[in-house]
Amino acid sequence: MAGFLQQIIEGLGAGAIYASLALALVLIYQFTGIVNFAQGEMAMFSTYIAWQFTAGGMPFWLALVLTLAVSFAGGMLIERVLIRPVEGAHELTVVIVSVGLFIFVNAAAGWIWTFLIKDFPNPFPGGAIEAGGLTVGFSTLGILLVVGAVMGLLYLLFQHTKIGLGMRAVATNPESARLVGIRVGWTLALGWGLAATVGAVSGILVAPLLFLEPNMMSGVLIYAFAAATLGGFDSPAGAVAGGLIVGVAETLAGAYAGFIGSDLKIGVPLVIILGVLLVRPQGLFGRAAVERV
Amino acid sequence: MNERAGERGADPGPPGGDAFLTVTDLHAGYGEARVLHGVNLTVGRGEICAILGPNGAGKTTLLRALSGMVRVRGAVRLDGADLTRRPPDAVARRGVAHVPEGRGTFMPLTVEENLRLGAFVRRGRGEVEADLERIHGYFPVLRERLRQPAGSLSGGEQQMLAIGRALMLRPRLLLLDEPSLGLAPIVTRELFRIVQTINEQERTTVVVVEQNAHLALDVAGRAHVLETGRIVLSGSAERIRADEQVAQSYLGYRV
Repeated sequence: MAGFLQQIIEGLGAGAIYASLALALVLIYQFTGIVNFAQGEMAMFSTYIAWQFTAGGMPFWLALVLTLAVSFAGGMLIERVLIRPVEGAHELTVVIVSVGLFIFVNAAAGWIWTFLIKDFPNPFPGGAIEAGGLTVGFSTLGILLVVGAVMGLLYLLFQHTKIGLGMRAVATNPESARLVGIRVGWTLALGWGLAATVGAVSGILVAPLLFLEPNMMSGVLIYAFAAATLGGFDSPAGAVAGGLIVGVAETLAGAYAGFIGSDLKIGVPLVIILGVLLVRPQGLFGRAAVERV
Repeated sequence: MNERAGERGADPGPPGGDAFLTVTDLHAGYGEARVLHGVNLTVGRGEICAILGPNGAGKTTLLRALSGMVRVRGAVRLDGADLTRRPPDAVARRGVAHVPEGRGTFMPLTVEENLRLGAFVRRGRGEVEADLERIHGYFPVLRERLRQPAGSLSGGEQQMLAIGRALMLRPRLLLLDEPSLGLAPIVTRELFRIVQTINEQERTTVVVVEQNAHLALDVAGRAHVLETGRIVLSGSAERIRADEQVAQSYLGYRV
């Protein structure tokens, strides 16, 4: 039993990272109706920026704050420069732009920092808390705290500020939002900025567990897709829940289904995506799309 | 058509000549499709003005042109200030509230959030709170449903919410697009009565687009008939009501 709980805790730690990248995907999907395939690469690029800061001797937490600020600005810039011109274009056009962004960011990171792996500093101490036969690493605890804080801040922003209310209005009815005087274009840019910031958190948290290299986020992105699909692409709370469930499912599958082991773990999110699409395409928390014909 | 327009279509302007909204030679459309072909009209300060006309005449496009939602050629002036080619948020800041076709409800948001969004461009928290109370006075049913998702309201309640949301702007000009659409006649009559009250109490100028000409002419001081993108007839509500062709086309009887 203790072993089982132990696995769940490990799973939640990993799941929190998937949850933050899934949340980034959902933020952009809500505002622009597109799935941003470049979300993982944007997070990876942000992680390199953080690495660059710390490599220059900057304390980790200061580097984190600066990186998040740069990511926010970068996300807004991407929306203004790349996404704005294809706003309202065919969905496929926008998807192609995001795939192009994926390739571009990946190549740019390789060009700037090379494809050699880099050690990313772990901001959390190495020890663990032991209680009741369970061992919770400071690293896992730290990840859960950071992701929890990010979610809490986003919740406050969306539910208790005027800007947040405006953003939700744009996500539900952009035309009506324009009529009440909201600058929809800037709100979309703000959404991209937030998504880039939340995504950056996932990259920075996962980097000490993996190694930093330009393809670091490709696996995480698949887990995040599974999480967003499971929770519902139009539900931020669903993305978080989905991320945690995917993390736990992955860990349990790796530990208990002997034939899966650590090599086949990456198959778990794919099975989840397929299962959700077959049984409940709108996800656990999503609203079914209704189309009048 | 042109002959008719030449003969009777010229807008004599509101009585007293106090034009609040002036639209001059307004052209608008969507891409290649041109919908408005040189609309001229004036709306007097504090009056209710009805825009009548058949489906596809361009009534909705006219309102969208006024609030900056479509590209236009021509001129729109509100109280002397040029609104032409300003984006919708700038028009809203100038005090123009537009209740669009289909009501523009933010379905998943609560009734209160919908109302607060109406005041998005305003500053001054205290005033906004007072205005929430004011709107509950007009629409008591909204107070009971403040915490409910707006999507759970009935059609009539959603239309009340839409008008309430527009009033939260403290508009100088209120644009209403087919408020009667999809509503029971008794609900529609109640809505028009409230619009009339708002107009009288707050001196809000109202432009209402309506297919139900009877209702619109009951509350309007003046009316304009729009056909295929042009104003073909303008005048006082009584005069429009007395017009033989309007009677045949929109009121369903001969004078």
